[in-house]
Amino acid sequence: MATTSKQYKAIGEDLWKGRTEKINAELFALTYGALVVQLIQDYEDYAEVNKQLEKMGYNIGTRLIEDFLARSSLGRCSDFREVGEVVAKVGFKSFLNITPAVTHSGVPPPSRTSSTSQQSGGAGSSFVLTLDENPLAEFVELPDEALEGGLWFSNVLCGVLRGSLEMVQMQVQAEFLSDVLRGDESTEIRVTLLKYLEEEVPVGED
Amino acid sequence: MSHHLFLLSPSDTPIYSLTHYSTRLVQTTTSTLSSNLPTWSTSAFAGTLTALSGASSATQSHHVQGGGVRMGGGQDRHVIQMIANASLDVIEDVMRKESAMYLKSVDKFNEWTVSAFITPGNMKFILLHENKNDDGIRSFFHDVWELYLKTMLNPFHTAHSPIRSTVFDARVRASAKKYL
Repeated sequence: MATTSKQYKAIGEDLWKGRTEKINAELFALTYGALVVQLIQDYEDYAEVNKQLEKMGYNIGTRLIEDFLARSSLGRCSDFREVGEVVAKVGFKSFLNITPAVTHSGVPPPSRTSSTSQQSGGAGSSFVLTLDENPLAEFVELPDEALEGGLWFSNVLCGVLRGSLEMVQMQVQAEFLSDVLRGDESTEIRVTLLKYLEEEVPVGED
Repeated sequence: MSHHLFLLSPSDTPIYSLTHYSTRLVQTTTSTLSSNLPTWSTSAFAGTLTALSGASSATQSHHVQGGGVRMGGGQDRHVIQMIANASLDVIEDVMRKESAMYLKSVDKFNEWTVSAFITPGNMKFILLHENKNDDGIRSFFHDVWELYLKTMLNPFHTAHSPIRSTVFDARVRASAKKYL
């Protein structure tokens, strides 16, 4: 039986409440901000900084998924649509205490004549997370050079999504569509499924 | 009637400055000098110059300044800054004695009064104004202080460097409009 959206919200809420080690939000935001500023000073190229933030996020994500699965004890998601729901309502909630809104868009596989409902299991389906608040970017104002250089301040989140989903056999691409720090209306991340990863036999085993 | 705000770092480097023309209709209190000024010389520079040269113009019944009276152009900046700088010494003296943050008016120069506000981090906010407005100024200083704190928390801001953020500027102006 598919878990409903409300149940996911409840799970997320419980996980957040049950987590005893919480951190001061200001300290968190200031630490992340200092990290980004340092990266900018080191690399001096905003595209490179974006890449590095994403890489860092990837490393975090690969480890984070284990913690998440252990605490939430959720089973395998039936389709990509459910992945989006779980990520938004349980994942983001339990780690950052925010619940981004999810907008799904599935690409119907060409072989099936799809009805009005979307079949979001195939590769190419995606969902967009709309964050109404971003704890990483409290108090941040981007200087002009960063705006022109194309810096995505919270790009680490994209890396986390990519890393964690890769560990559950999904290869995805996560990228920012818009960011309030850049003057856009809202902060949006699009996660696109590239393909499901087959279980690979480790090299060297028969 | 205008106000001039200066934010100075602990090492007295200017971080931010703002000139605000108040649209409030205020009775100018008859100070001995301002009432003696002929109507055309309403700039701070002229007032000071008149005083310095000891001129005594024909007595003028005190006039109400209304609307955003534009003060004379570039000349005034120098005088304003001179007044602000001169007040720094007085501020430092008062700082040692008083532990409160809002030091009311520390200095008076002809028609200009200098009020100061010292933050716990030793940032000096200096306001030059012509009229007495203690409560408004105190609220304004507190507002500016909060805005300054938020700017400090921005990771892209280096401590004690000039504040160039347009958001900060806009908010300070709005606050000035509200309280001054």
